[in-house]
Amino acid sequence: MSWETVIGLEIHAQLSTKSKLFSGGSTKFGAESNTHVDLVDMGLPGVLPVANKEAFYKAIKFGLATGAHINQISSFDRKNYFYPDLPKGYQITQMTKPIVEKGSIKVSTENGEKIINITRAHLEEDAGKSIHDLFEGETGVDLNRAGTPLLEIVSEPEISSAKEAVAYFKAIRQLVTFLDICDGNMAQGSMRCDVNVSIKKIDSKELGTRAELKNINSFKFIEKAINFEIERQISVIESGESVVQETRLYDSDKNETRSMRSKEEANDYRYFPCPDLLPVVISDKELNEIKDNLPELPEEKQKRYISEIGLESSEAKIISSSKAMADMFEEASKKTDDAKMTAKWLVGDISALLNKENIEIDESKLSPENFGKLIERISDNTISGKIAKSVLEEVWENGNDVDEIIKAKGLIQIQDESLLEQIATQVLNSNPDQVAAYRSGKDKLFGFFVGQVMKETQGKANPKSVNEILKKILS
Amino acid sequence: MDKKTVTTISYLSRLKIDPEEEEKITSDLENIIKFVDQLNDAETSDIEPLTNPLEKTAKTRTDQVTAKNLKKELLEIGPSSNEDYFLVPRVVE
Amino acid sequence: MTIKYKTIKEIKKMISQKEISHKEIIQDVYKLVKENVNLNAFITLNEEKSLKKAENFDNNPSDSSLAGIPIAQKDLFCTKGLRTTCGSRILDNFIPPYTATVIENLENAGCISVGKTNMDEFAMGSSNETSYFGNVHNPWGDNLVPGGSSGGSASAIAAGIVPAASGTDTGGSIRQPASLCGITGIKPTYGRISRWGMIAFASSLDQAGPMARTVEDCALLLNEMCSHDIKDTTSLDNEIPNFEDNLNNSLKGKKIGVVKDLDLSSLDKDVIEVYENSLKEFISMGAELVDVSLPNLALSVPTYYVVAPAECSSNLSRFDGVKFGRRSKDPKSLEELYVQTRSEGFGDEVKRRILIGSYVLSAGYYDAYYKKAQQVRRLIKQDFDKAFLSVDVIMTPTTRGPAFDIGSKGSDPIQMYLEDLFTISANLAGLPAMSLPNGNIDNKPIGLQIIGNFLDESSILNFGHMYQTKTNWHMFSPEGVIQ
Repeated sequence: MSWETVIGLEIHAQLSTKSKLFSGGSTKFGAESNTHVDLVDMGLPGVLPVANKEAFYKAIKFGLATGAHINQISSFDRKNYFYPDLPKGYQITQMTKPIVEKGSIKVSTENGEKIINITRAHLEEDAGKSIHDLFEGETGVDLNRAGTPLLEIVSEPEISSAKEAVAYFKAIRQLVTFLDICDGNMAQGSMRCDVNVSIKKIDSKELGTRAELKNINSFKFIEKAINFEIERQISVIESGESVVQETRLYDSDKNETRSMRSKEEANDYRYFPCPDLLPVVISDKELNEIKDNLPELPEEKQKRYISEIGLESSEAKIISSSKAMADMFEEASKKTDDAKMTAKWLVGDISALLNKENIEIDESKLSPENFGKLIERISDNTISGKIAKSVLEEVWENGNDVDEIIKAKGLIQIQDESLLEQIATQVLNSNPDQVAAYRSGKDKLFGFFVGQVMKETQGKANPKSVNEILKKILS
Repeated sequence: MDKKTVTTISYLSRLKIDPEEEEKITSDLENIIKFVDQLNDAETSDIEPLTNPLEKTAKTRTDQVTAKNLKKELLEIGPSSNEDYFLVPRVVE
Repeated sequence: MTIKYKTIKEIKKMISQKEISHKEIIQDVYKLVKENVNLNAFITLNEEKSLKKAENFDNNPSDSSLAGIPIAQKDLFCTKGLRTTCGSRILDNFIPPYTATVIENLENAGCISVGKTNMDEFAMGSSNETSYFGNVHNPWGDNLVPGGSSGGSASAIAAGIVPAASGTDTGGSIRQPASLCGITGIKPTYGRISRWGMIAFASSLDQAGPMARTVEDCALLLNEMCSHDIKDTTSLDNEIPNFEDNLNNSLKGKKIGVVKDLDLSSLDKDVIEVYENSLKEFISMGAELVDVSLPNLALSVPTYYVVAPAECSSNLSRFDGVKFGRRSKDPKSLEELYVQTRSEGFGDEVKRRILIGSYVLSAGYYDAYYKKAQQVRRLIKQDFDKAFLSVDVIMTPTTRGPAFDIGSKGSDPIQMYLEDLFTISANLAGLPAMSLPNGNIDNKPIGLQIIGNFLDESSILNFGHMYQTKTNWHMFSPEGVIQ
């Protein structure tokens, strides 16, 4: 029997504010434990939350970019449960009136583009971290992360495969990074997601019972976890049993999901409006200001690169695929007149190096300034493209300044025509037979002469001028 | 209000009810619930709930870091902590 | 020279006329504390720091409005470096690293916080019998309750130990003990006084306020306690008037609302008589009585006993033994840590309300109880809004009777809940309300409640002060009329 998969994602994106959602505590990642904990983050008796307006602005950017409805009056609710890294015994979230509702995003999947609808995106506070493996018999609690603003982005159950789920997550990540509302850093947990998976008979109307896979933080694991879960549910059903609605934890070591029901036992979050926080209003003026200052998004960039700069559509697509790429391209282009060559190098040699090391461009030693300079040195004939490759390799290794490298290694191209003529003449004189052969019609030998001259100049001659000079002498 | 309900809400509240108290507490809660059931006398269809007497909207913060590093002070308040963390019995995920 | 039974006004005069030094005042306070130790009014004293402050005032006199005035602080306000228990075992070792905004305001005005007063645990009670630190006794009779939850504050003032104290009022916790101890207390408009640093019971109902011997003193204290606090988004940014300005306005033509749907028949006839006598007193000053209708008033107690427990069940989740406060002895597991800590740390009444709160918020009951109650709450507020279109203030008895005997309410919680019948509605609607002494019943004081319109503390202060210029009930002490 054949099955259809129904997947919905809840993505938690940490909003890149300086301070926390309800306190003046810092949100900087990687600080010493419990050093970014304000009295409010600690949930001490009598302290009160005050909402951070910037978090709303960032959430609204997301809403506008996904064509969503913005609730200009949104309110906070309490979600009650006990956990050591949840200092107040409740999480402040937006249950009844989320800031963002009913958006959508275009996702490119194996079988073409697909619109996936976003049910809601609401603000909530992150919990702290529990460290289970550091101490004998004890769990340590670090509250640095407690209170960090999260945007929880909830998709409709419209995703039909693990690959599609990953594509959707990537599209959301691309969007939030272009909007500059989240750094998108999966390794640091800036983006995590819960996945709701269910299966149903093809052509059956009603959805099957879903299982929720908690807290997955890498593309690889999303795909694996979902695929495992689909198989699990199919075998459960085909063995005549039925899927239970539950939360399951994905274990990446064993590549399996396992039930967390024990912890869910009789859970009831008892949501109710947070009496400490009055509704927050966003004025039309604020809303319009955000609209007017929305950054350029990937599609727009892609179009502009083609129409204004004249890039190939394939180049434009690659360069606008990530914020880091686009920033590198636009910054570097400022340093040179030759944006097209900048693009060629970016999608050519540089992309090759990135793929080889499997890193993002902002993780490389190549700075936009240096990259721009490299292109400029090619287009002003200081160095040849061939030399440029070797320069790039060195920059890639140690990030040294392009001009320094060129100077230090004396790679500057020979512009002096008369000098090139001398060398060319020498080459011809020392190869009389080939010259004779050439004259008697062996045109192919021309390339040989060029090669010899380049060899004499250790590649520092400009091939174009070498061609001209040789033609002149040989004619 | 039966024993099962009392067990559930005491679990949600993380409160232990001693068997000898159970009778009394169950009946107390039952009476209180009966007492508040008078609310059903009021006609409240299409009445907005009033969750705060101030029918105002909130003032908000600008995004600034104002907190100092209180690590030492806060860990000292903790009933069990080492120099870096608050400690609780090992939680098994 | 003693400050026993003295008002703030009188003590200020004594200071300005050099009849007593600041240090002598504070020394006298602690002498009185020790003489009245049987009242159990204080949980923690602040003697050393207080004496130091007093000496400072002697050495460099200050002209701030309450310079050197001794004040007792309800132990629900966090005080930096000074133990703050909220009357609970779960906080018996809690020393906050911060001070409540309202306490800071008072101390910046020169008040000296001499100690933390006893109270019903987490302010849940009307008799001070739920405190982990034991009953407070009423100076008017050793076996009498002082009322609650601000019973320690009321008792300390009634015994003349301090001229003033802070209190908090979630359903009557300032007004009811004020009535039972024969003093004056005010719950201002919700949001007038910052809740920051005030340990929350029910966030949408809690409001701090002054307790003192006279309305005048309460006005003086209010001037300092109120502030707009950016740390509390429910604190009002409306202009704060000088509350002393209108104290002496004439009451001629002013209108007093008398609640016609209020069934007083269940009350003792002495109580009704006392109440009606004070209404006559106001008429003699030129005020008029106007019938007002508060049809949903009867539902205020059930409404309160859904809303308050719901909020408290969530507010008290932070007391889990993980980051601060008491933790049960070597728990084997996290669950045990939670359950043991909370079961040992909380008393029966607190547990009862947490359970009720969890119940009314839990799936399937939310609409029937929590939502329903918040809807009725709006009806109650609408009743008041309508009533205040035609009157300046509304008057009721504060309590159903004078102080009752410790233990006499028995084990039926609802009997105790009904104590708050007259006071609760002002909290639900967020309105300012005051209780002031208006009679004695078998040598036990009782109070009159004056409820004002939103933000109109000035009117209730005006009515209250004019009443105290014409009567001397506020001059009565357990030892007779104060000379």
